[in-house]
Amino acid sequence: MQVHIRYLAALRDRLGAGETTLDLPGEITDSEALIAHLTSADVAAAALAAPEIRLIRNDRIVTRPSPLDDGDRLAFCPPFTGG
Amino acid sequence: MTTDILVTPDPLDAAALIAALTGTHPDDGAMASFVGQVRAEPGLEALELEHYPGVTETALTELREQAISRWSLSQALIHHRVGRMAIGETIVVVAASAPHRRAALEAVSFLIDRLKTEAPFWKRVHTKDGSHWVAARDSDTSASQYWRDQIAQEDA
Repeated sequence: MQVHIRYLAALRDRLGAGETTLDLPGEITDSEALIAHLTSADVAAAALAAPEIRLIRNDRIVTRPSPLDDGDRLAFCPPFTGG
Repeated sequence: MTTDILVTPDPLDAAALIAALTGTHPDDGAMASFVGQVRAEPGLEALELEHYPGVTETALTELREQAISRWSLSQALIHHRVGRMAIGETIVVVAASAPHRRAALEAVSFLIDRLKTEAPFWKRVHTKDGSHWVAARDSDTSASQYWRDQIAQEDA
C-alpha cells in the first residue's frame, strides 16, 4: 500500500520534511501502526503519537485511530491555533 | 451579497462586513459580531496564519451550519485572513443575526470558540530574531470543550 504524507506547520519544522510518499508493509492498516512505522525510521516521528495531533485523510479531518487505504493522502497536524 | 465563508490573504474590512448584514432581515432584532485582531506582544513584528485550503473552508462551513441550526440564525458569516499581518490588523470576523440577542450572542461565542480548535489554522509569530509557531492555549481548548459538552448534553 502506498500513502502520501504531509506534515503541517510546526510538525513540518520538527520532522525536517514537508511531504513524502511511502510504500508501507502489508501489516500497517491504520494511522497508529503508521506512526509506529515512521518512528522506527526516525525517532522524531514519535511526536505524531501525541493525542492532540490531528489527522486529515483525503481532505477530511478524521479521528484517530483511522483506517488507511492504498492511495490515501494524509496530513498530520499540530493543534489548530486560528482565530 | 456577502460570501458567508471566506479564507483570504486580503485585508478584512470588519465594518463593511457587519454593515452588509445589518438591517437586511426584518425579523431580526439582534446582530452580534466578533472581530479578532493581531495583538502587540513583546518582540512581535508580524503574525502569519497558515491554513489547509479546502479542508479549512469545509470546517468553517460545518461550524456555520451547526450554529444556524442550533440558534435558528437568519444569517451567519465567518471571514478569516491568512498570510502575514501586522499588529492591529483584523484576523477574523464572525457575525450572526437572529430575532433575539441571546441567540446571536451565543452563536458568535460558539463559532469563535469552536473555530479556534476545529478549523485547520496555525499561527506563527515573526520577531526580529526569527519566528516560532504559536502553541495551543489550554483556555481555548476548555472554551471549545464547553460547547462540545453543551451540544452533547442537549443531544442526549
